Amino acid sequence: MAIDLQAKIPNNVDLANDPKLQRALEHWQPKYTDWWMESGPSDFSEEDIYLRTAVGVGKGGWANFDYVKMPDYRWGIFLAEAEPDRKIHFGDPVGQPAWSVVPGELRNRLRRLVVTQADTEPASVEQQRLLGHTAPSLIDLRNLCQVNVEEGRHLWAMVYLLHKYFGADGRDEAEDLLRRRSGNVDNPRILQAFNKPVKDWLTFFCFTAFTDRDGKYQLAALAESGFDPLARSTQFMLTEEAHHLSVGENGVGRVVQRTAELMEQGIEPRSVGAIPLDIIQKFVNDWSTSSYDLFGGEDSSNAAEAFACGLKGRYREGDGLYKDPRALDQIYTTQVSENDKLTTVEIPLRRAMNALLLDAYHADCTRIVDRWNRTLQKHNIGQKIQLPSLRFNRQIGIHGGKTYDPAGNAISRDEWEARKDSWFSTDDERAYVQSCMVRVTERGKYANWVAPPAAGIHDKPVDFEYVKFH
Amino acid sequence: MQDKKRLVYVCEGGDCSERGSIELHAELAEVLHEKDPGGKNRLRKYPCFGGCEHGINVVLFPDKVFYSHVKQADLPEIVEHLTGDGEPLDRLTGKVAKDVEQIVWDLLDTGF
Repeated sequence: MAIDLQAKIPNNVDLANDPKLQRALEHWQPKYTDWWMESGPSDFSEEDIYLRTAVGVGKGGWANFDYVKMPDYRWGIFLAEAEPDRKIHFGDPVGQPAWSVVPGELRNRLRRLVVTQADTEPASVEQQRLLGHTAPSLIDLRNLCQVNVEEGRHLWAMVYLLHKYFGADGRDEAEDLLRRRSGNVDNPRILQAFNKPVKDWLTFFCFTAFTDRDGKYQLAALAESGFDPLARSTQFMLTEEAHHLSVGENGVGRVVQRTAELMEQGIEPRSVGAIPLDIIQKFVNDWSTSSYDLFGGEDSSNAAEAFACGLKGRYREGDGLYKDPRALDQIYTTQVSENDKLTTVEIPLRRAMNALLLDAYHADCTRIVDRWNRTLQKHNIGQKIQLPSLRFNRQIGIHGGKTYDPAGNAISRDEWEARKDSWFSTDDERAYVQSCMVRVTERGKYANWVAPPAAGIHDKPVDFEYVKFH
Repeated sequence: MQDKKRLVYVCEGGDCSERGSIELHAELAEVLHEKDPGGKNRLRKYPCFGGCEHGINVVLFPDKVFYSHVKQADLPEIVEHLTGDGEPLDRLTGKVAKDVEQIVWDLLDTGF
């Protein structure tokens, strides 16, 4: 199905031939615009920003790059191309045709999955709304805006599913998605990491490196879904999400690089407004561990049922990597603290679906931290960034409320309390990072705490005029 | 693994997609559809392999072949190898660090 780019809502879901749905979404559209203007990026609505806009889902180029004012961005509904005769490839219904409508008995469970994913999309835009004012360069401001408009598009992708497949309940949920606000005491976003403030760019880079990466794994698991519209929606979202992750991975990498360059020259980073490695480590500790919690409990009956029903698969399930698509009669083994000592526990594999997904995520995070450490090594810095253990600082799951050090060793509550300030940033350290955030708007110039990126966007040079101010 | 098909992963990470990996994947899909009708190979996208400096990256599993700097012009030879009529392209291997490759193999070798 070709994309109708001229429609009021660009789409490849044949909206023009579903007038009831079209009306419902066109009714929601101005409310979305109001939300964007109220809670989206503060200011910058009049600037011309060199943005990527999705224009296709197949061969021949999927995106167009050009100057766009953010409110004029064409938020649309795009599903990946359908796979003919697609079958469900995991869980109890393995081998059955994929569903093009929601099975009645799975309606509530599926709606909850969609709403939870959907809620993260506007939440992150709200968290980042003031960052543009302290952007360390034009390309960084452009990247922030790119991430924001595409998170907005991902909200559209999920709202389409709610409107099309969940009737009045879905429409109510779509309204609620615009009512909740990140960090609002009375009406917060659903997941805790999406209520934390993102006030500085080191936090933004950690957020896109670690928290958006959780999104990648959740989307990847939903892209395996037996509910075909959800699978195809999330497949296309993953294509856009890849850039967001590289903004984070490269962003933290550039902060590390700048600090390493200074240290190699014998310059104390704080003396020139750059960020010391121990503070970077503390931010990594905070955002990686709060992102671990987003995966849910390691031993989870909810996750087991979502898998068993064919709604949410394992990472890369469709690749045929796993021995048993039903995941029966297998055991997942892990270790948990009992009386301050590590004890082995066994979890039936189906109940360990969150843990499996988290393991894949952790391996991916290990890769990005290793990459940052190669930069340190290149600059002859002996210190390394450490990725915390999956047991460290957990609020939920089998490790929730237990005390471990960053390496995952079980420790006493007293030791935790005595050492926690060495693991997490203090008020003073956060204030210092905030003080480093100075706005830079000159082409090819960067704030002193971050190195330039290795490459520009879409073959443009790094000193390209990514934002034209008016 | 459930079946004997070779997995052919094209990276769609930030750097690789900037270099045209989405289009390369689509091109490869078209050629494989024509040249590999029996389906010895299963073509997939992969979010990021971590060899970002050396993209576009294409990975074959379980062969454990990690191609880097792949361009459209390499596709005919890659397809010859995939369909059994050619050898792996040594000029495209060995570009990324061994530990990066190992993380990819560990991720794909699920243990379950």
